[in-house]
Amino acid sequence: MSRFLVRRLIHGVVVVWGVVTVVFFLVRLTGDPAAFLVDQSATREEIEHTRRLLGLDRPLAEQYVAFLLAAPRGDFGNSIRDKRPAMRLVLEHFWPATVELAVAAALLSTVLAVPLGVLSATHKDGVADHLSRLGSLLLQSMPGFWLGLLLILLFAVELRGLLPAYGFGTWRHLVLPAVALAAAPLAQNARLVRAGMLEALQQDFVRTARAKGVPERAVLYRHAFKNAAIPFITVTGLSLGFMLSGAIIIETVFAWPGLGRLIVQAVPGRDFPVIQAGVFVFALIFVALNLLVDLLYAVVDPRVRLS
Amino acid sequence: MRSARGVMSWWWMAALIVGFAAATADAQTVDGVAVDAEAELVVAVPDDTNNMDPRIGMGSTRSAYIRQVFESLVDVDAQGKPLPGLALSWKPVGDLTWEFTLRRGVTFHNGEAFNADTVLFNLDRMFRKNLDRWGIKDVTAATSFEKVYPTVSRWEKSGDYTVRIHTSEPLPNLWDAIGREPLVPREYTVKNGIEALNERPVGTGPWKMVVWKRNDSMRFERNESYWGSPPLFKRLRFQVIPEAGGRLAALRAGQVALVDAVPPLDAGVLGREAGIKVVSSPQKLYCRIYLNARPKDKFDSGGKDGLFGDSRVRLALNLAVNKEGIVQKIFHGYAQANASPVASVAYGYAAQEPYAYDVKRARALLAEAGWKDAGPDGVLRKDGETLTLQLLFPAKHYGQGFDETTPAVAEMLKAVGVQVVIKTIDYGSLLQTVTKGTLPYNGGFSACRTSNNLDADDYLRDWTAITLINWVPYPPELAELYRATRREVDPQKRLKLLADLQRRVRDWAPVVSLYQEVKIYAASARVLHFVPLTDLHMDFRGVALRKP
Repeated sequence: MSRFLVRRLIHGVVVVWGVVTVVFFLVRLTGDPAAFLVDQSATREEIEHTRRLLGLDRPLAEQYVAFLLAAPRGDFGNSIRDKRPAMRLVLEHFWPATVELAVAAALLSTVLAVPLGVLSATHKDGVADHLSRLGSLLLQSMPGFWLGLLLILLFAVELRGLLPAYGFGTWRHLVLPAVALAAAPLAQNARLVRAGMLEALQQDFVRTARAKGVPERAVLYRHAFKNAAIPFITVTGLSLGFMLSGAIIIETVFAWPGLGRLIVQAVPGRDFPVIQAGVFVFALIFVALNLLVDLLYAVVDPRVRLS
Repeated sequence: MRSARGVMSWWWMAALIVGFAAATADAQTVDGVAVDAEAELVVAVPDDTNNMDPRIGMGSTRSAYIRQVFESLVDVDAQGKPLPGLALSWKPVGDLTWEFTLRRGVTFHNGEAFNADTVLFNLDRMFRKNLDRWGIKDVTAATSFEKVYPTVSRWEKSGDYTVRIHTSEPLPNLWDAIGREPLVPREYTVKNGIEALNERPVGTGPWKMVVWKRNDSMRFERNESYWGSPPLFKRLRFQVIPEAGGRLAALRAGQVALVDAVPPLDAGVLGREAGIKVVSSPQKLYCRIYLNARPKDKFDSGGKDGLFGDSRVRLALNLAVNKEGIVQKIFHGYAQANASPVASVAYGYAAQEPYAYDVKRARALLAEAGWKDAGPDGVLRKDGETLTLQLLFPAKHYGQGFDETTPAVAEMLKAVGVQVVIKTIDYGSLLQTVTKGTLPYNGGFSACRTSNNLDADDYLRDWTAITLINWVPYPPELAELYRATRREVDPQKRLKLLADLQRRVRDWAPVVSLYQEVKIYAASARVLHFVPLTDLHMDFRGVALRKP
């Protein structure tokens, strides 16, 4: 177990280094941020002055070495647009706004998906199954921004402010964006659980458990679901990773001050330090979640050995 | 400059003060309507500011935030006319000196006094002088004053409330160039560093910044020690709601009371809704198609001059565009066609004969310029070359109206025999292209420009030095006329020169003029006396909130 963890941590460091290195060079291929900071009536001389102030006139190798030396300390330099430490900006947007929204949406999409998927599988081709599948299809087909706007119109406008149309800070602000963000993964997870359960319910161990008189609830959740859970865990881990990387569309519709909007603003503005700090955090999230998912495999299925 | 206009400005100011006095005589009513002096006005805005330090930049979004906290020597009224701000008056003293007389009794939010030393310190920052002496860092600034106004040679105080600025050549628009820059406190900046101006800005303005949650909101509180009448409500919040639909939903739900940047399409519908007022004002944002007419040594040309060097061709392209059609069909009337190179709300603007939509005349002008042999595809040719415009189009940057206008214009140009090849790119890539000078010889781009200044000079300067947006440099006679406008200190004579230059630039047609933006706001019926400015920001002095 400890050897597994050490090996995975080393892999993680290499992955993070690789990702930030690729991003370091890629963003510099996309152009120069100096032109964003000057008036359109600026001369080349003025742009050069701005480049010097930003340190972009230094050789690329020198910039990269300085970046590598500073990054492990969390120092990604100052945001070119905001003039504040880039990592601080990223973390301010990550916690609590992004984490709050991602965790709420992930909980909603997993907690509801499991009973829905199980219900659908145990009532295959029945009314509950048809309704669940139809609902899943609808939720998966609806674009997030459209669903978000519909929710705003209904709960904020038509119901005269039952829930706020925008903003962040209280549980009331969280409801609509979390529902809008959870909709598609909820549908996907419910279908995944249904498919896994249908397969598991055909297995011999289920028949054996029932023959032994194990209560149906225990058969479903302790025996069948555990076997159906591996793909569900994988997808949930990935989807949580994506949510923690920022949900740009939902954040935009609900004016949620999360990481997605910060990064999306940084990319066209060529705000290198913020892009690099953001990608660094994304890489850490995905490495950590992958590790967590692997550990969960072993918990759910004892046949999986971490060694 | 100050004489006739100054008298008018004083009257305007006096009226404003009387209005405030009447309004505050009974703190609970304005024009007989009960108002809530303790209320909060929530304004839905599409974007957050990146900085609060005015030296870093004052684009339209940033200006809206910065000018609540910081003030400049020259203020502005709703029509874009200059008013006394932190300076009570300004006047030329001879040809090479301007004198600003400062307002007394003004303090920054932290209690620091505003005086001539404040202005000198700000001039040092603007012109990047004595930064070491003050122990402050240089910043990446949008405007490099030392480059744009190299003739400003020195500045001094001639009393605690009088500042003189000297130039090596006459600079008639100095009152505007210097006077519109928001001023920061000297002692506070030196003591806390320039970072503090961004994090905890301290100005002389009517609003103190209290909390800034990046990408979410900025909260302000009334400056009770404001040199003018304090605002008529206690708290102000700029709430960032990027989606126009979200902003309007928040207004309808009663969560915000004022919405900035309403799309033209929504304005008509909103105007018919009970309890919502729609107000608008022309802005300085001026959208155009820039064409490559640079000589081959002024860009990465591949040995060819810019294709659009002949002013008849550029004029023809202007006549081929149905500008009124764009204003009515795309902007639903919330835009202006303008044939002057200067925004209609700038000081010194002179209305010009519109570019009539005249396809026949456009074709005739192109034929006169030698572009007449249309091939089977209908594209005009000259000496074996086709009249092709490779048009870079920065989509999703200036708004939906702009995004609809560029392709519509391309179709109009095709109708007179121009082959338009649209290349949709992101705004950053456009900036890279014009910075590196790699626009194709037959290239052009659609873009908009705005101004932080009041004077026409800011627009007419576009075709002087080679800059990001100058792809059609002035010919010698226009360059000389431009220089004359910069030398003439007599206001009336200068206005005449400016008008003459605008007329000649209109005929010379350096760009295909598209439209000038009209900004639309929607307010709940609670908001009283909100008047949109032609300037980039919003002014809440005199605005009140009706009691619910």
